[in-house]
Parts: sequence; C-alpha cells; structure tokens
Amino acid sequence: MNRRGKRLPFFLIVLCAGILAALPFVGVSYGIVWIFLLAVYFVLALSYDIVGGYMGYMNLGHSTFFGLGAYTAAITLNQGFHLASALVVAVLLTACFAAMVSYPLFRLRGAYFALATFGLISLVEVLTINLRDLTGGSGGISTPPGNHMVTAYYLILVVAGATMALSHFIARSKFGLALFSIREDEEVAQAFGVPTSLYKGLALIISSVPASLAGGIYVWNMTYISPPSVFGLEIALSPIVMAMLGGTGTMAGPLVGAIFITMVQEFLWTKVPYFHLAMYGLVLILLGLFLPGGLVRTRWIKPIVGWMGFGEEIDYFKKSETGKMGETP
Amino acid sequence: MSADFIQLLVGGVLLGGIYGLAAFGLSITFGVLNVLNLAHGEFLMLGALLSYGLFAALGINPFVAAVVVIPVFMVLGVGFYVILLKKISDKPPHQLLTASILVTLGASLFIEDVTSYFWDRPVTGISYSLPPLELAGVVISSTRLLILLFIFILAFAMQIYLRRTYVGKSIRAITQSREGAKVVGIPISRISAVAFSIGMALAASAGAFYVTLFTVTPTMGIPLTIKYLCVVVLGGLGSIVGSVLGGLILGVAETMTAYYCGAEWAPTIAFILLILILVVRPEGLFGAKK
Repeated sequence: MNRRGKRLPFFLIVLCAGILAALPFVGVSYGIVWIFLLAVYFVLALSYDIVGGYMGYMNLGHSTFFGLGAYTAAITLNQGFHLASALVVAVLLTACFAAMVSYPLFRLRGAYFALATFGLISLVEVLTINLRDLTGGSGGISTPPGNHMVTAYYLILVVAGATMALSHFIARSKFGLALFSIREDEEVAQAFGVPTSLYKGLALIISSVPASLAGGIYVWNMTYISPPSVFGLEIALSPIVMAMLGGTGTMAGPLVGAIFITMVQEFLWTKVPYFHLAMYGLVLILLGLFLPGGLVRTRWIKPIVGWMGFGEEIDYFKKSETGKMGETP
Repeated sequence: MSADFIQLLVGGVLLGGIYGLAAFGLSITFGVLNVLNLAHGEFLMLGALLSYGLFAALGINPFVAAVVVIPVFMVLGVGFYVILLKKISDKPPHQLLTASILVTLGASLFIEDVTSYFWDRPVTGISYSLPPLELAGVVISSTRLLILLFIFILAFAMQIYLRRTYVGKSIRAITQSREGAKVVGIPISRISAVAFSIGMALAASAGAFYVTLFTVTPTMGIPLTIKYLCVVVLGGLGSIVGSVLGGLILGVAETMTAYYCGAEWAPTIAFILLILILVVRPEGLFGAKK
C-alpha cells in the first residue's frame, strides 16, 4: 500500500468518530437510539466475522454469546453491582462458556458445525426459560431503571471501535494468518504446524468477548430483556446477514452490511407489517445464489473500498475460484 | 411402573421411527449433494399440513395420505433442487458451504414465515384411531403399532432400493466418491435431483405420521432439523440402519426425559446427546472410522 492508502482510512475514521461523538450535543435523540442499535448489530457482525469470515466456520449461534452476556450482566446488576463489574463478569462467564462448547463443537465441520451452533441458541434459550429462579423464566428480567442513553451510546461506540481495532490487528497477525489457512485447508494448515484445535478455540473465545460486552451494554440501556428478545431469530440472523451481505473476511464488509440492512429495516419494514422473516429468507437465498462474496466484492463498490485502504482481503473469492476443487470439506 | 415404562418405550420408539425416517432423508441428501439441507424440517411440517388437509377436507386416513404425499413432495424436491441448488452445486468447497447454508436457511425461513401467515393456529393432530390392543396388561394403541410397521416397511424398501437398483447404486457411489462416480459416467446432476426428491419425500411422509400423534406448528421446522442432525451424527452418515437406530435412541431419550424430568426439559436432550456423542465417538455409532 502507498502512503495515501494508509493515511486516508485513518483520516476517515477520525472524521466519523468526531461526528458520532458530537451527535448527542446536537440533540438528535432518535438518531442516537438508531445508531446505538446499529452499533450493537455492527459489533455482533464484526465479531461473528472473526470465526465466520477469517476462519471459515459458520457460527450461526453467535447471538448465544450476546444473550448470555446480557443475562449475566442483568443478574449481576440486580445484585447491586456497578456496571463495570457486571460487564467484567459477563465477559468472563461468556468466554468460559465459549471455551467449554468449543471442544465438542469443533469436532464438527462445515454445515454440521453451522447447524450445531444454531442449536446452541435454542439450548441456552430453553435453559434460560427453565431456570426460573435465576433468570425470571419466560417473563424476562429487568434491571435497575434509569436513563443511560447517552452513556450507553458512547460505551457501545468505544466497544465498536475496539472491535474494529481487534479485527484489524488479528487480520495482520500470525494468529490471523493461521485462521486464514484453516479456512483455506485445515489439513494442510495442520501439516504445516498450525495448532488448529487451539487456534479454533481461541478464535471462538475472542469473538465471544465483544458480543457479550454488547449484550451487557444493551441490557443496561434497555433495562428489560426476555428470552425471545436476545435469543430470537432476528438477533441471531441479522449480524450474519449483515456480514455476508457486506462481504465476509473483510473489515469493511460488516460495516457496509450493517448500514444497508438497518436502512432497509428503517424504510421498508416499518411500511410492511408482515413477512419480515420471509424477506430475510429471500435476502439469504439471493445472497447465496448470486452474491456469495458480498457487496464489497461487486464491481462498483470494490474499487471504492480498495481506494480507502480497506481492501486487502477482498480478492479472496477470486483466488479460490481458480484454486483446487473437488475435495469434500 | 413397568406398564408405564413399556408405554413410554413404545411412544419413544414410535417417535424415534419418525425421526429416523426423516433423518435418513437428510443424510441421503447430504451424502449425494454435500449440502446440509437446513430446510429439511420444514418439509416434514409441510407434509404434515398436507396430510392434515387431506384428512380434514376429504377424510383420507393418514396411511393413505402418507403414500399420497410421497409423489407430491418428490416433484417439489426436484423443483427445489433445480431452482435453488443446481446453480451452486459446482462451486469449490468453501463457497459451496456458505452458499448452501444461506440458500437452505433462507428457504427455511421463507417457508416458515409464509406458512405461519396462512396458518394462524397450530394444527392439533388428526383424530384418527383404531381400537387399542391389550397385551399382557399393557394397553398399546394399534394406530401407533401400525405406523411403526409402516415406517419399518418404508425403511426396508429404501434399503432394497439403494442396494438393488441402478439409481440406488449410483446414489451410494456418489456418496462414496463424487469424483470416481463422475469418471465412470454417472450423471451427477440427475442423480442429485433424484436423491434430493427422495430425501424430501421421506421427510414429508414422516410428517404425515407426525401429525397423527403430535401438534404441528409452523415454527417447528428448525428445531426439528437440529434433531435430525443429532440423529444423523448419532447414527453415522449415510447408513439407514444407523439413522433408524439413532432416531430410536433420541425418541426414547426424549420421551423418558419428558416423563421423568418434566416436559420443559425434553428439547434439551437432543443437544446433550449430540455433545455426548461428539466427545465420546465423533464418527457416530455406525459410521466408519476415518
């Protein structure tokens, strides 16, 4: 990359951060709520991409970490603890959970892994409903009330920024390279000395951290959650659709996807009361059939993303097209 | 206690037979197409709704309905394959995986949402029963026994079809080695369509039995697909004996859990079994060791 390619994204990020930080002072309260939710989805999409995009394991159950983080934070907050300690507890517990499930789950590959992780959501949801004394069962759980909107807004922006930095540094580290090699061919990676089991577990744990943080901040701000609101299909699928629509394995992808989907929700879904899930389904089918590389890899958007300096992983789909074929995953 | 236990066992075995039948459909499509069809549970739901519709409107009994839904869903299966899966089936492995999950999950959500729009209340079983059978103090519903018999006949017929006919042999050949099958001149695309339609028909006919025993709701598809996954992993891929036995284990375990621990814990048992089998024996009970 040349010098302009390094300086421009930095400038853009500072500019965006400045505008976002100034928003609460201008006083667009609806915009703040909207950006808060957008940022939650963005954090989920970006952290999903560490396992789903970099490593090539489709973790359809990523929202389990979000829900678990939200519930843990809610229970800790109700015990009278401060937000910071609640978030720490949420992150630690979720990371332990991720470490625990990574052992059996990573014995599966490909589509089996995807379906098993999808099942994980309903398992945790059933557990939350059944452990009534701890979680409030199907009635949900509320945290101490209060208006935290602006603080929560800044907090989620910080988390989003940190997740972007995390994803940026992972993509350039030796660890990230190992993840890419696992995606391309796990056997070959193992033969070349990549400790695949360890790295797969690590990647899952790392991706669980931002998700649980987002969950904790979400419940602190919303002050009420119920099993369907954090383990439902909508929150499970939206981040994945965003990452896929934007383009997996890139940092720009989840951002483009998140903005696109939230706009569509804002303009289209408020007008059409039915068939939201069916529309998601159609988007998924069309994505799978025509655009598996995502928006950032299309002819029109790719040069812009490349010009801004986010384009290093973009050519992956082209490369694997001419790569070896025929081997079963 | 023992009478209760035997009743439970019969109920579990029956549920397991239904699971096994549908799960074998899933396993056959995965073996041939290398695509895990996440919409598989939806076809059980649709089959159940169709046979319920046949019963409610025309009074056709579920055994005849199970036979009627098979050709209907075979045609649907070919259509599904040609429209959605044929285009992506030649992609390299990683892209095939991503695209197939997107497409089948999308289809599943679409079917679920559209069905639940038109079916606003759950369908509560077909009120069809035959006089019960009393055997050494244990009362067994003869409808259930007949269904079980029917399922085993269907499984047996499937086994013969796969062993004896040309298409069946081709299906097994592609499952063993796709490249090898291509080399000896097996028309991959055509056989894939047949295999997919068979898988779908099996799921739909299992649905016809399902609706005689349980409540059918539009949202049950994805949880069911997860149960099939559990059965397929339990039994080992591509073996009909493994699928049926895996189904029986899951069915009995689920019924027992529901009776002894409470019905709200029954949905967890499939996942616990899945994790157990993955830790203890990842290739499944009847799968070949790699």
